[in-house]
Amino acid sequence: MRLAREVLVDELTPLLPPERQLDARLAAAAIAIALREAAAGDEPALAVAAELARLYGLEAPQDPGRGEEMLRRFAGDLRAGALAGPRERGVRKVLWRLTLAKLREGNPKFLAANGFEV
Amino acid sequence: MAGTPSRPSDERSPRKEALARFLAAASGATSVEITRFERLQGGSVAENWALDASFWGGSMAGEARLVLRTPSPTRLASSLSPAAQFAILKAAFAAGVTVPEPLFASGEEGPLGKPFFIMRRVEGTAGAQQITRDPRIEAASDRIAETLGRELARIHRIRPPRADLSFLPPYDEVAAERQIAGFRASLDRHGAPRPVLEWAMAWLERHVPPLVPAVLCHHDFRTGNYMLEGTRLTGILDWEFAGWGDPHEDIGWFCSKGWRFARLDREAGGIADRAPFYRGYEAEGEGAVDPARVRFWEVLASVRWAMLALEQSDRYMKGGEKNLDLALTGRRATECELELLMLLDPGGYA
Repeated sequence: MRLAREVLVDELTPLLPPERQLDARLAAAAIAIALREAAAGDEPALAVAAELARLYGLEAPQDPGRGEEMLRRFAGDLRAGALAGPRERGVRKVLWRLTLAKLREGNPKFLAANGFEV
Repeated sequence: MAGTPSRPSDERSPRKEALARFLAAASGATSVEITRFERLQGGSVAENWALDASFWGGSMAGEARLVLRTPSPTRLASSLSPAAQFAILKAAFAAGVTVPEPLFASGEEGPLGKPFFIMRRVEGTAGAQQITRDPRIEAASDRIAETLGRELARIHRIRPPRADLSFLPPYDEVAAERQIAGFRASLDRHGAPRPVLEWAMAWLERHVPPLVPAVLCHHDFRTGNYMLEGTRLTGILDWEFAGWGDPHEDIGWFCSKGWRFARLDREAGGIADRAPFYRGYEAEGEGAVDPARVRFWEVLASVRWAMLALEQSDRYMKGGEKNLDLALTGRRATECELELLMLLDPGGYA
């Protein structure tokens, strides 16, 4: 994948007409995201799930699928206003962790541009 | 503009011929020859076509460089019709806003079989990356921001009731709540959980500012939607989301981080600090900018941008539209979520 991206960026993109170079750059960006996601594995999702489990007083899940379920419950509770009050601090902690984890894979440059460690 | 243009030996097509007949009838010309008709790059909700034409007689006699704008097949449901955009553009032009002069409009019964309107073509670039990176623009950034503030205030001088804009839905005390409800419905259609957006929408619901008298809001007034020729503003573009609203809605949208492109540090559209933009706005006498109201609308802007990004990516994820740009746009929702956390929980990440 890494080699495919290098060939695309360094060798193929310059050969394309200018109006197609944006598509090539987008394709390279998509490959870069996939590479970062593959390198990170399930760890970021499980770390968020562990934080959520702490918030709800549950055992941390080992299965990323269970983490997705918890995220859905969390979103529903936020809409319903069920987590206001003393749990607000824990809520924000989860939201930060979730967002930073997503951006580390999706757009670390943006994270860095906003002053966060990548 | 006078004189008799020479007739070009351009390729003819039934569509161009029909369009030429439409232009002749609309302008009172005895004859019109279209010398260029080609689609311009960009525009996911609308198609813009460069249209050069020679007019013999009538109100447009001579050569004209025009743009024909028509909805793209992938227009957003919230986009105004071409006829509505044409009416708004006419109102803005009459109010002294720097916009391309609106000239003619047609419905589905017209020469293209779909609605469109035609305006004069303005010169320059709207490229946001270019505008936020160009050192020549940087040298004039305060003046440009002040000009944009003045332009926005002129738009906001258009107020209801207006018979010519009676098609716009009224602005009322539940307008913000209605937007939030729309975002939630959109999020439900998207399907994947987005806790940050839910949390931000709950904040918005608790902080809706009191109603102010409605003004015409552009609703997409931002870098990327105005043209600069060098450092001179030549046109405010893309009016398909315009409607009555709180003036701070446009100010918050312009300043939100999603529209700063290469310069996140420049809070007024990636080109300048807020001060010159606000100064220009206030100089037109449309009232003082209220930072607390701007903050509310800036939070809403980040939610709105995130929702637009998710809707765009769903065109690929759910609609099967093969477009890499659309597919990747969904990722930008997370950038909006970071901004929401930075706005609503500053310093919260330690």
